[in-house]
Amino acid sequence: MSAALLPPTPPPARRLILNGLFAENPVFRLALSLCPAVAVTTTVLNGLILGVAVLMVQVLSSVTVALARGLIHPRVRIPVYTIIIAVWVSAIDMTLAAFVPALYAQVGLYVKLIVAFAIIISRLEMFASRYPLVPSFWDGFGMGLGFLAALVVIGALRELLGNGSIFGVRLVAGKPLLFFALPAGGFFSIAFLMAFFNWIERRVGRGRGRAAAGGAHG
Amino acid sequence: MKPRDEVIRITASMTVACAAGAAILGAVYVATDRYQRAAQLADERGAIVELLGLGPGAEVTEVRQSLDPGVAGQPATRAVIYEARPLGDHGAPRRFAFSLDGVPVPVAGAAGARAQRAPEPLGHLFVARQGGREAGFVVEGMAQGYKNPIRFLVALTPAFEIAGVRVVEHQEDPGLGAEVATRGFEDQFVGRTADDVARLDVTRDPMPEDWHAALLQLERTPPPAWRAAHAALLERERGRPIYAVTGATISSRALTGGVRATIDHFRRRWALIQPQLEGGS
Repeated sequence: MSAALLPPTPPPARRLILNGLFAENPVFRLALSLCPAVAVTTTVLNGLILGVAVLMVQVLSSVTVALARGLIHPRVRIPVYTIIIAVWVSAIDMTLAAFVPALYAQVGLYVKLIVAFAIIISRLEMFASRYPLVPSFWDGFGMGLGFLAALVVIGALRELLGNGSIFGVRLVAGKPLLFFALPAGGFFSIAFLMAFFNWIERRVGRGRGRAAAGGAHG
Repeated sequence: MKPRDEVIRITASMTVACAAGAAILGAVYVATDRYQRAAQLADERGAIVELLGLGPGAEVTEVRQSLDPGVAGQPATRAVIYEARPLGDHGAPRRFAFSLDGVPVPVAGAAGARAQRAPEPLGHLFVARQGGREAGFVVEGMAQGYKNPIRFLVALTPAFEIAGVRVVEHQEDPGLGAEVATRGFEDQFVGRTADDVARLDVTRDPMPEDWHAALLQLERTPPPAWRAAHAALLERERGRPIYAVTGATISSRALTGGVRATIDHFRRRWALIQPQLEGGS
């Protein structure tokens, strides 16, 4: 989307949250940050932890950019956004390592990679740099929540099919379809869920003409 | 605006962003560092106490090992530096060093004047004492897994018999190589002596049902009771190889080879380290 499509007055909080969860879900609709989405979602818990980390980084970065947008020189805005994201990722990284060490041991490697998540910097460039604090907060919250929800759904599908359990609790004996726990299975899981999202969207009939929007973003 | 002014403004904008970021990170580090260390320490101590089955009165000494690369081109100047202190203590450690041939060398020389490169960490080892006697050792080891290194702990009794093996860090494939980090695989090592391990092989044969059932019980049974209950089975399996995880022979071999090398190395070094540790206590 381009700047011309953004309304001059920011949409209400409820719209922004629903937008992040459904209409522009970072994983299922925008197809952004698929690489980490595949890498960590072998279990629900891993997906949940990384999702929470992304949510916090997105909200903190959006708020920081919204507050500092008058001070950031437009020519160096991308390096400055990167610094802002890197600062918050490092802060979250240290906090997780200190307070939830057992979980951090599983996803620590990927938390550091949040710096390079396209979804975060794209929200800063498209939204937070143009709107004031409050709408930027809700936009970041909605997008982060959308990412979190996507990771949890993918993680649940893959853990259930690949390992026969949910949150480590065994539901089915053995490993029904081990393929889904492997990286290739991760892409298939996302593809199936994306198709499911598109199907629902067509069924409900909302957002006509947007069903193909997913391909437009890298 | 003049180009020079713009350059100054851009520089100022970036400098302010970096300074503010550094200040935030510094504050977060100061606020969380204490908790992170405490969590790490509790984790390590918990693993050691559990692996060796220690009582509450046990003292644990942590020994950090590092390789002093010595003078470039002169392998004879390479040495292993040991730094011993009670676990969790941040005071000055007791330091001593041995050359790779086992000859004592002065630490000052090993770490200071001669070193042109920083010493390279070789992993930790922990010596547990209870009631004035050694109650066991936990040795950290590394092995090259399928793609990335596997880091593990090997717990040994004072008689160099394996009390347990725990994989603490790995990136093997879930469902395949990652299975070596489960008790069902790790517990196959329990009860084997250092001599058994030196000859230990890995087989792709399926694990016998009775042995598999016994291993599953070990997680919920205290080790001495478990050993008594399965004495005949243990005797039979001690002479047999490790059963590889299905579809993950490489990871299984990697961990087995790593355990073997770690024990072999520690057994030879312990003769050197022991007098040094006891000298001052």
